[in-house]
Amino acid sequence: MDRESREMLLETAHRFFGDKCGREVVNGVEKDQWPAELWAGIEELGLTLVAVPEEQGGVGGTLEDMLALVRVAGAHAVPVPLAETALAGMLVAGAGGSPGDGPVTLTLGALVLKDGRLTGKVDRVPFATVARRFVAVVDDGDTPKVVVVDAAQATVVAAQSHAGEPYGTVRFEGAECAFVGASPVGAARAYELAALTRTLQMAGAAETVLSTAVTYCQERVQFGRAISTFQAIQHLLAELASYVAAVIAAAEAAARDAQEGGLADGGSFSIAAAKSQASEFAHRIAAISHQCMGAMGFTHEHILHHYTRRLWVWRRDFGSETFWGEKIGTAYAAAGPKALWTLMTASRYAA
Amino acid sequence: MTVPKLEFPPFRLPPQSEALRAEVREFLAQTLPNIKTEDRFATWTTRSPEFSRALGARGWIGITWPKKYGGSERSFLDRFVVTEELLGNGAPAGAHWVADRQSGQLLLKFGSEAQREEILPRITRGECYFSIGMSEPDSGSDLASVRTRAEPVGDGFRVNGTKIWTSGAHRNHYCIALVRTSGQHGDRHKGLSQILVDLKTPGVTIRPVINLAGRHEWNEVTFTDAFIPKDCLIGNEGDGWKQVTSELAFERAGPERFLQNFHVLGELVRVLGRHPSKRVAAILGRLVARLWTLRQMAVALAGMLQDGKSPVIEAALVKDLGTIYQQDLPEIARVLAESDATDEDLLADFLDIAQYSTMIAPSFTIQGGTTQVLRGMVARGLGLR
Repeated sequence: MDRESREMLLETAHRFFGDKCGREVVNGVEKDQWPAELWAGIEELGLTLVAVPEEQGGVGGTLEDMLALVRVAGAHAVPVPLAETALAGMLVAGAGGSPGDGPVTLTLGALVLKDGRLTGKVDRVPFATVARRFVAVVDDGDTPKVVVVDAAQATVVAAQSHAGEPYGTVRFEGAECAFVGASPVGAARAYELAALTRTLQMAGAAETVLSTAVTYCQERVQFGRAISTFQAIQHLLAELASYVAAVIAAAEAAARDAQEGGLADGGSFSIAAAKSQASEFAHRIAAISHQCMGAMGFTHEHILHHYTRRLWVWRRDFGSETFWGEKIGTAYAAAGPKALWTLMTASRYAA
Repeated sequence: MTVPKLEFPPFRLPPQSEALRAEVREFLAQTLPNIKTEDRFATWTTRSPEFSRALGARGWIGITWPKKYGGSERSFLDRFVVTEELLGNGAPAGAHWVADRQSGQLLLKFGSEAQREEILPRITRGECYFSIGMSEPDSGSDLASVRTRAEPVGDGFRVNGTKIWTSGAHRNHYCIALVRTSGQHGDRHKGLSQILVDLKTPGVTIRPVINLAGRHEWNEVTFTDAFIPKDCLIGNEGDGWKQVTSELAFERAGPERFLQNFHVLGELVRVLGRHPSKRVAAILGRLVARLWTLRQMAVALAGMLQDGKSPVIEAALVKDLGTIYQQDLPEIARVLAESDATDEDLLADFLDIAQYSTMIAPSFTIQGGTTQVLRGMVARGLGLR
């Protein structure tokens, strides 16, 4: 997608989410109300197929286009599996399958594929109870497979996430597969790509947290003046801005590295670093924004929690800072002190 | 209300800068083994005129300046690469650091042709070193309140007053001082000028100010009826504030604001050995991830500078994040080493290194603009003041 088309797509998505993904919609999902109108609009705009080639019925965008889109979705707390469906669609299309329609989610975990049947259990699957299909990548020896299983073939135990989204545990017991195809990526890489989409969603959520807190403080009057005029608040907001800028910068750099390095393994190190960074700063971003907004920001009525609760959930999804930090730390320690600077400037695990 | 965005668009250093990186690495690999290890722990405050001259001979000081002043007419991105390689490899680049980073840059932008011709080539050869003459005993963060006075007399100025925290003044050749040339103390930004002071000038007294780690870097520089010739005025009389603000932007935007104690991370990896525990590896990895992010932001800043933008707020934000990282680093590293290291001698050495960094760490969030001054700037960037 050229720059102009991408900007147009993002602008369209931004306006659409602004219209159709308000407070009631996000709160409704927490009460198990599926936002059918929002989902239909997303499909109508082709957003779930952004990274599916045109000849396979998609929009023909790149991984980077998809990541830019999920950042916008994160900035609106879009409470449907857009990121999951878009990434799953890209993987299924890459394996020669048809992405199909309806909400889809990713079941990435220790799964075994035998004679065309899938077995295993995955916890904390996002949107597990609303997905029509589950998409997994299984390392079938040296030839990883993309596997699609219809929801009816799996057992799902609902476990709402702390952000109120319909997460759950998915169990396959010799489940019949609707599709099995040679995967363009291995299972570990699929997990990385999922972590990368979450990182971009976190960047989007973080920027909304900042703009929400800044706007609130400019409007809230105490002691006869807007609290944004107090130096104590200004310094908090400036500190918040630094963490938000860091998360966005890390996410965008990882997105670029993943795109430029190719689908198979591009930006592996950058993704790990960016997810670790975003997950680590989620705490301070939430803490400072809530501090600035006082009791009002702590209510369910205010929208701040749409973003701060998602940051807390997303930092854990597809690997926390502990998970990704361990990968980086293990590799850097193994490479030794002399390799440190070379690795850092090459954004790589190993020289 | 729209909240201004502070973005750092990903930027890729071009192939010619990466090619230069390889050259710099090769040069450092040959040069650095002759440098004492302890001198490699403070890069831009450790002085080695010999090293500076060798670097200058390669054309890597004043690298962006015009060739007629001894520069190499290369890009700001090339300068970024040289700077970060010096820091990442712990090169003792302290002698020429300030001259290269800000003083020469300032003379190039505002100085007279005679000043440029006389001084810039000496800087690029690694032979001429500068101090910063901004702070005074009663003017720190509030720089506009400087009291040092330069009274016009005949064909020059008679200067009286005191500058402080003047790093390297006891060894450097020049200092660029911010002084009041007209008006009263209360006039703030008006009536300030910058003058080029030869530190050997009669009437200029230099007294050491020892820091808490026992090192002599700082000085107090006193002017007692010191005569400074008129042709040492930099730029226009009365433009001092505008000029010093531009100088501060050069001072803040560099990678030394997050790589100053990078060696602590390397030494941590050494003491932990090749196979640390999972718990310790996870925290080490998080430290690496934060540093990687800071570097991405710094590269983005370099890209903005190269595009002719003036990312003053963004630079303030990176300095804030970077210096806090540098304060966290020795503390976290100390705990990791104590919980995982198996070699007691290596651990004892490491704890000394970490402790030294901890002792220096308070300066990180003070020099070049305190965290609080920077947050004020970021708040302004957010539209809050």
